[in-house]
Amino acid sequence: MATVQICEAEKVYIMHGVRDDLRIDGRACDDYRHMEVETDVVSNTDGSARVKMGDTDILVGIKAEMGRPRPLIPDEGYLEFFVDCSANATPEFEGRGGEELGSEISSTLYKMFQNRSSLDLRALCIVPREHCWVLYVDVLLLQCDGNLLDATSIAVKAALFSTRIPKVHVSEDDEGGKELEISDDPYDCMRLQVEDVPCIVTLSKIGHRHVVDATLQEAACSMASLIIAVTHKGNVTCVRKVGGGSLDPESIFEMTETGKRVGKALHAPLMKLLQEEEVLGKRRQKVGFLG
Amino acid sequence: MAVDMRLPAVRKQVPSFSEAQEKHLVVPGDVITTDVGFMRGHGTYMDEEKLTASVAGEVERVNKLICVQPLKTRFNGEVGDVVVGRITEVQLKRWKVETNSRLDSVLLLSSVNLPGGELRRRSVEDELTMRDYLQEGDLISAEVQSVFSDGALSLHTRSLKYGKLGQGVLVQVSPSLVKRQKTHFHNLMCGASIILGNNGYIWLYPTPGQQDEEAGGYYTSLEPISLADREVISRLRNCILALAAHKVLLYDTSVLYCYESSKPHKIKNILKPEVMEEIVMETRQRLLEQVG
Amino acid sequence: MPVDTRRVRAPEESQCPLLFVPLLPRGPLRTVAQPEKARVDGRQRSQVDVRPVFARCGLVTQAKGSAYMEAGKTKVLCAVYGPRESERKDDTDMKAGRLVCDFRYAPFSCPKRGTWIQGSEERDAAQALQEALRPGLCLHRYPRAQVEVNVLVLEHDGSVLAHAVTCASMALVDAGVEMYDLVLGCALRQDGDSYLLDPTLAEESGGHATQPEDNQGGVTVALLPSLGQVSGLHADGELRDESVSAAVRACMEGCHRLYPVVRRALVYAARRKAAPPGDSLET
Repeated sequence: MATVQICEAEKVYIMHGVRDDLRIDGRACDDYRHMEVETDVVSNTDGSARVKMGDTDILVGIKAEMGRPRPLIPDEGYLEFFVDCSANATPEFEGRGGEELGSEISSTLYKMFQNRSSLDLRALCIVPREHCWVLYVDVLLLQCDGNLLDATSIAVKAALFSTRIPKVHVSEDDEGGKELEISDDPYDCMRLQVEDVPCIVTLSKIGHRHVVDATLQEAACSMASLIIAVTHKGNVTCVRKVGGGSLDPESIFEMTETGKRVGKALHAPLMKLLQEEEVLGKRRQKVGFLG
Repeated sequence: MAVDMRLPAVRKQVPSFSEAQEKHLVVPGDVITTDVGFMRGHGTYMDEEKLTASVAGEVERVNKLICVQPLKTRFNGEVGDVVVGRITEVQLKRWKVETNSRLDSVLLLSSVNLPGGELRRRSVEDELTMRDYLQEGDLISAEVQSVFSDGALSLHTRSLKYGKLGQGVLVQVSPSLVKRQKTHFHNLMCGASIILGNNGYIWLYPTPGQQDEEAGGYYTSLEPISLADREVISRLRNCILALAAHKVLLYDTSVLYCYESSKPHKIKNILKPEVMEEIVMETRQRLLEQVG
Repeated sequence: MPVDTRRVRAPEESQCPLLFVPLLPRGPLRTVAQPEKARVDGRQRSQVDVRPVFARCGLVTQAKGSAYMEAGKTKVLCAVYGPRESERKDDTDMKAGRLVCDFRYAPFSCPKRGTWIQGSEERDAAQALQEALRPGLCLHRYPRAQVEVNVLVLEHDGSVLAHAVTCASMALVDAGVEMYDLVLGCALRQDGDSYLLDPTLAEESGGHATQPEDNQGGVTVALLPSLGQVSGLHADGELRDESVSAAVRACMEGCHRLYPVVRRALVYAARRKAAPPGDSLET
């Protein structure tokens, strides 16, 4: 995992700063760094988004493919997540170095979507038991500067928002066989309802308080953090304690409280931004990777 | 809490006014001169009588010597440079220090000040307790004593101004952005001190009060630092990052001017692109006035 | 998917017969949908009512320490090897030991046959186990060493991760690894407004697809009982905000119920290991 080494005195400085609600970059404990979100950045995908948060830089591409529904859930499509930690981000990821982190992030993403309301998976079903859409969500970590999970979840939500799946018309022939016809009109497409897609808030316990959006230096001071996936209604779809330390129950309650408050507040500006971008449409000059 | 989300915008670099003459920039493979009367310096090679650049950067000419100074590079240390570095390894009689150079630098046990005065013999016990003075992860300020043939730097801390660093904040920028000056240690007027390492590592720390010289610089206070000092340090940190993002040379005056022009903004807002642009522009203006 | 060539594998296209049972496995929860009604096995809803636990140390005699645990039909076996010289020297600092966890389901442990190849679910569980156990161990006492914890689920009938945590901490105690405290696990299934503590497999998986109502989810908590610290917290599904805290509280209570049983089993194991009191005095 991408980590930095810091010495005891620096740790003390950061911890006292958190206690005084003034972090080294001037933020308060529950402030995010400023974020930049852009969708539709890779044209070969069905939906894509790029999120920058400080120096953390994440690119998500979504490809829709046709597959068979899972035998146990015949009337739903499904999502597949894959997180690639390329050695571009940090030399530590070279070879198999990033594998552990990648599977950790992707399993959190799976868990986050493993419920009824995050995404309406039934909409992805074409013919029950036979055909459904499978959304391959590929996450690329371009740069790591802490708080990968939050940035990833925001990028996934933005990418899902921009995903357009072509409409499929099912016609039945005389013998009962089904024929699928995929519309080639780029405007005849299906959008996903992303209102309820949760966002992840990572809360890192530093000293006696906790902070959101920890930088790498701050993460090095934290013994344990709590990951909470929150929907815009405030429902919690996934909680995880990560890190080598333990937490006392009181701080868990406090942290879930903060997580819910912050998580709820994260959705409104994101949706507003995504809609704003869509309204601008083609008039807006794409920034892409040259920003 | 605050969440600031936006669409990305193309970053413009604040135009520089002081561009007296266009710099002579080259990329690898560019022929600098075919005149045989020149000498080959760093960043160039000879290709059949033609002097050719091997790095992207600015051509510098000193009499008959031609070098290409890369604009973005790792730190190429020279004797006398002030550096800030982090201990990566404790070895027999030496520490390895990460200083943003190609190879880790070396700090010999014989080139540090140990507690108990300068003229003390290094004993076997000192070798055994090296980790008590400096251990992995500790930050130090030091001066380049010599450069080995492979390019690794040998450091020394034989002055009371150098040594282990205590509480503060490290900011990392490109080494070429740090202006060479007589002194790289400054007690800024705004209430904090700064060490501008030539290697691009900048250390911000509260201005020390009474120096406790007995400990020889190996005692670090873990006492909490006042909120006012923290605010100054955080603001300075963000200002330095803003200046670095817009490629303004860093030295005491530029940092201080930037600090002053950032005053109307909240500390956490300094790093927003539009605020950054505004204060860097203002800083440039003031620096120009001062020169002119 | 990697193919294990060392084994004769079942035909590629064989399928679990459960698929052809029309949605029966999801049923049981619905029959007890009324909050007042008792659960299938007679326990009460929304009460800290754990299944009876059977636990014993030292079953795997060749391991440094081991433990076996049953809770209802869930059966977990854990063996601990180490502390011994660490295999991977490159990463991590040498000041503290490493804890390596492995978590496996036996292929026949679940209603549907599993494979011997570790799946992502097992890897997640191993990771969760590692993070739950770490805070309880004095790893700084074992520089450059590693402790290996292997958990094998023999029969899966719900709350596996929670019982794996408890079982692993017992095995660690049996191996004589220095620990700050025991680590106990407890799971909970939130079902609408009521909750089911220490759920069985049917309770865990049921209801998920058939019931439209919200507030469905599972929570697993790992607790250091005498220090009162939570070392692991896992929640999935969709939970209303207030039920998360309530669920954590209920799980902590469940762990405390478990504590005396586990303690007694460990004291019993320690007593068996000691020489009879008379022996040392003679000769």
